[in-house]
Amino acid sequence: MAKWGMVIDLGKCTGCQACTIACKEENNVPYGSPDEQKRRLEMYWHKVITASEGEYPNVTTVVIPMPCMHCDDPSCVTVCPAKATYKRSDGIVMQNFRRCIGCKYCIVACPYAARSFNYKEQEDKEYHHQDRTPDRSVRGPWPFPHRTHGVVEKCTFCFHRIDQGLKEGKEIGVDVEPACVEACPARARAFGDLDNPQSPVSQLLGNKEWMRLQEAKGTSPKVFYLPK
Amino acid sequence: MAVSYSATEGKSKGFYTALVVVALFLAAGLIGFTVAYLKGHVMFGSNNAVPWGLPIIVAIYLIGLSAGSLILSSLTYVFNKEEYKPISRMAVFLAIVLIFGALIAIGVDLGRPEKSWRLFMFFYLNNMTSMFAINGILYGGYFAISLGYLGVILANNMKWAKRMGTFAVCWAMLVHMGTGAIFGFIQAREIMNSPIKPFEFLGAALVSGLALLIIVVVVTLRATNREYDRKIVHDLGKLLAIFIGILILLVTVDKLTHIYGPHRDAAMWLMTGPYWWMFWGLQVFCAYIVPLAILIPRKSRENVNALVVAGAFVVVGIFGERLALVIPGTAYPLHLYPGHIEGVWGEVGSFALMPAEIFLSLGLFALVGLLYIFGLKYLQLLPSEKRVKVEPISEKVASEQAPAQDTPVTEQPAEA
Repeated sequence: MAKWGMVIDLGKCTGCQACTIACKEENNVPYGSPDEQKRRLEMYWHKVITASEGEYPNVTTVVIPMPCMHCDDPSCVTVCPAKATYKRSDGIVMQNFRRCIGCKYCIVACPYAARSFNYKEQEDKEYHHQDRTPDRSVRGPWPFPHRTHGVVEKCTFCFHRIDQGLKEGKEIGVDVEPACVEACPARARAFGDLDNPQSPVSQLLGNKEWMRLQEAKGTSPKVFYLPK
Repeated sequence: MAVSYSATEGKSKGFYTALVVVALFLAAGLIGFTVAYLKGHVMFGSNNAVPWGLPIIVAIYLIGLSAGSLILSSLTYVFNKEEYKPISRMAVFLAIVLIFGALIAIGVDLGRPEKSWRLFMFFYLNNMTSMFAINGILYGGYFAISLGYLGVILANNMKWAKRMGTFAVCWAMLVHMGTGAIFGFIQAREIMNSPIKPFEFLGAALVSGLALLIIVVVVTLRATNREYDRKIVHDLGKLLAIFIGILILLVTVDKLTHIYGPHRDAAMWLMTGPYWWMFWGLQVFCAYIVPLAILIPRKSRENVNALVVAGAFVVVGIFGERLALVIPGTAYPLHLYPGHIEGVWGEVGSFALMPAEIFLSLGLFALVGLLYIFGLKYLQLLPSEKRVKVEPISEKVASEQAPAQDTPVTEQPAEA
């Protein structure tokens, strides 16, 4: 069985947020108003944070794109009472909206702030309707045509693309990539099978120094960063 | 000592005034819930930085009050302290209505309340590693056990009351320790994460349950015109002082373990940051300092009115203790990356009290109050009137004081 992972090269990342937008578009994650963004009500399956160290003029900043880390030992799965969040056998941590009761325990337990709660009934936009979806003939399946408020949502590593790609016999990480990886103009991201030594991610991790976020929490994330 | 029990007549003006006031609050709560259910949790003050808001605080608070109240009933039925007998039925019934209110509070705080049944599909649809699922067993079982306990007490079966009481009290302790574990076991949140949290919750349950019991006993017995032995309340006051002492010890150890090591930022932030008033103002001042200042001097310790005031401070203060755990505990930003995180992701989470959740919380307290008032009328919970007074004066006194019945349960959110 494959074990999907992602490598993000912080040296190449320019912080353009194309990944965030691509994720919103691919997964139909609702946009929020600036006010909602400020109140932390907007949903982000993928976010880009900036960390700075030092004071002007001796200051360094790092831009860190953060999808869900798809931890090997996910604390969200441990705390979910309803089995709504679970780890697939290929290591993807999934969220089942139908089972989710909206207790938000997983948001509290996640050390990466990777999860968002759907706070409001979304506006009735054209692209919220399955029967009127944008042209998906090139892009393949569209997994989340509509939403219901009151459940927790999160990044899925674009499982629909992976599953479709595997069915069609394509090579994951080369022919098929999650939306954020595909959209990155700097080619800072790579996706693939961590168990396969020939995959692009294994190649990168084997040759370079890497790190993961919040190692001390012991969650063993499957998103790796190549430091700047 | 033989104690006979009776129900209150429930025909006085005061009784109906209390009913109407409580019912109005309940209606407001229902409106708050409906609005939030239809519009989504955007109507609550919670957000992705502070995901848990007022209703969940009310829930854990009511669970604490319930567990504390039930544990205290053991004085009579387990430890055979006959002198507490007149108030023990009240304590058990109060515990039942409080846990019922707490279960409702948990249900209405969910994003999808209609799916709350999923919490109780033990071992089948539940993930049993979740503290919520484990607590589902604890809370559900607790509700059933305490109903049985009340049943044998009302049937006056002392042999079974002792057995059920012992069982119910042990279970009640587990209930609130489990509630503490919800927070204590979360490694990602530094302020919450602590092995001592379950014990701290147990201590807080005893303190708040006892304080509420003092208020409820005095107010109910006065409002229903019952004679009672002042010494019971004085002794409860002494017990309250001891429990507060234990709680202070536990809280101090908890904070010290957080401050002692170099990872002290979060704990220091809790005490000096924007939410300092929740910790120092509500938790420390209202729940510990003021009540102890009342309970330690002999003069005020033996004054029933002063004891009620001390109880009121404790009840508000322990609500503040819950507030100071849940809100700052989640609002403190996560250390996603070494250094200073810019923008909203590194900011302290803000929490705005919104009308919907205030009404909802008031409604939850009102629900508890309503059930309690009905219990007084339809169950034999109160000690019988020893001295029958039918003069109109006492009726007047009763009607003046009856509305105060729901004040201990409805006032807290406004002050907190």
